[in-house]
Amino acid sequence: MAEPSEADKAQRAKQLASELKSQKAMLKHANRQLAMVFDLNKCLGCQTCVVACKTLWTRDEGMEYMWWATVNTQPGKGTPRDWEKLGGGFRDEEPRAGTLPSKREFGEAWEFNYDEVFFGGKGNSVHLQPSGDPDWGPNWDEDQGGGQYPNSFYFYLPRICNHCTNPACLEACPRNAIYKREEDGIVVLSQERCKGYRFCMEACPYKKIYFNLVAQKGQKCIFCYPRIEKGVAPACARQCPGRLRFVGFLDDESGPIHKLVKQWKVALPLHSEFGTQPNIYYVPPISPPRFDAEGNLDESKPRIPTDYLRYLFGDGVEAALATLKTEMAKTKAGGKSELLDLLIVYEWKSLFGPFTQDPAAIAPRRA
Amino acid sequence: MQCTRVTASREQLLDPLTPEWSRIAAEPLKMAATPLANQPSEYIKASRDEKQIGKVRSLDVQAAHNGSDIFFRLTWEDATQDVQITDTTMFTDGCGILIPLHATAVGGADPPIDEMGSKDAPVNAWFWRADFKDVPRNTIAHGLGSTQFTERCAVRTKSAWGAGTWTVVFTRPLAVPDQQEETVQLAAGASVKIGFAVWEGSNGERAGVKSFSKEWRELVLDA
Repeated sequence: MAEPSEADKAQRAKQLASELKSQKAMLKHANRQLAMVFDLNKCLGCQTCVVACKTLWTRDEGMEYMWWATVNTQPGKGTPRDWEKLGGGFRDEEPRAGTLPSKREFGEAWEFNYDEVFFGGKGNSVHLQPSGDPDWGPNWDEDQGGGQYPNSFYFYLPRICNHCTNPACLEACPRNAIYKREEDGIVVLSQERCKGYRFCMEACPYKKIYFNLVAQKGQKCIFCYPRIEKGVAPACARQCPGRLRFVGFLDDESGPIHKLVKQWKVALPLHSEFGTQPNIYYVPPISPPRFDAEGNLDESKPRIPTDYLRYLFGDGVEAALATLKTEMAKTKAGGKSELLDLLIVYEWKSLFGPFTQDPAAIAPRRA
Repeated sequence: MQCTRVTASREQLLDPLTPEWSRIAAEPLKMAATPLANQPSEYIKASRDEKQIGKVRSLDVQAAHNGSDIFFRLTWEDATQDVQITDTTMFTDGCGILIPLHATAVGGADPPIDEMGSKDAPVNAWFWRADFKDVPRNTIAHGLGSTQFTERCAVRTKSAWGAGTWTVVFTRPLAVPDQQEETVQLAAGASVKIGFAVWEGSNGERAGVKSFSKEWRELVLDA
């Protein structure tokens, strides 16, 4: 059989690429898109959202080191360590190579000496501590922040899978194991189709996919879709005592997401330059003024440098902060502000759009 | 490629280091990196360099059968034994044998070897991976990215690594009852197209990122 010419090979490669593009377009397609908004002015870093997700979804074998929902201190390295510098995503609409983080970089699951401290009678003589001598963890640089006293600064950044409109993970998988649900745009990693190749982990610029070494499959936040299907808000959102996690459809004009993202434009995407069109949006944190060299307040500059916020949330950050300040001034002067009413969340259920169902009312009680 | 008929037993031939194998000629195959341009992922195309993938460039293959079972002995140089995945960044060594699933394809054309078959011409792969602990898998594919392990697998392997060399013996009954699993049927005197692949774990090779034997060879089984 004649060896195909270079031209034939190039032609065939083009054909395959075109078929691939169609397949991926189908997998990416969604009729509606669920999104969340996190108001960073309210996050206290209590980690309740983190534990809510952990206790619900990542308790099986191989999931010990997984934290599908995380809250880290910014500025900081986060988890996996230095994820913002690990590549992936897109540049000029082309995929960018990314690095596969190691378990150590994610932060290993530590083993604690609970038995000897709580049950072995050594509570007064031995500290509760992890075994070994860990030098990194999933929240290692908590509260370190940035800047120099008296102008040091930090804030908390809650993160989950962004359920992107243009997911780099979906594009990367050679087995088409990742797809968006038509009805709500939730990005799902099929456990049936996954063979643990981990190109998705390289490609995700937010590094929110984990690898289960026991099951040998990629696993990540599922936006609590079994709860969503029953009208129940995701666990991280429902458990948040800070009332800062809004849930809803991006196109629902009566809901909080549309209002905060599209109307008021105070909710911004994280690292939009990664090109994946993330669907978790952030209301940037307002900070107090800086101190000058004499120790007087310098109202001209915020404590959290605007440059840093721009680095995270893009060019819309100044306008967003200005809008917040304007609306806060209105209410301070005794007036009304629809935006402030939205963000204050007087009624807890107003966070969740149509997902106000109580999970206890629908789930059978386990014996 | 000749599949020599021998009178040795299954137990003897399944042993990678048995002296029986020294009597069967080895065919050295030049292996090449799979063409990056065909990878079913724009990410893989953008992030890899064809010169850096498919590290194993040479594979020795010996083929034999004893009338009831067929045997393939694959040998290749590999300085690093990658047998476990204990971190998210690790991949293991592997090798595979590829044969068109049906003796004659629809329309007569061979399935494309560098596309893992097609809808009209599916392929059957026998897949060994170092961390599977000699429990290989039988796979069907009908195009890039479509491999699907079958539930049952009549293939068995025995592997050994020593002095920078992997040796893996595959064996399977020539004929497998149809209802048991979707797999290629073989018989003494038959001739089939055959291809091979090797994955170097320490080079992060997995999925279509591997070396392969470039063209179909004709495997002729002694009568």
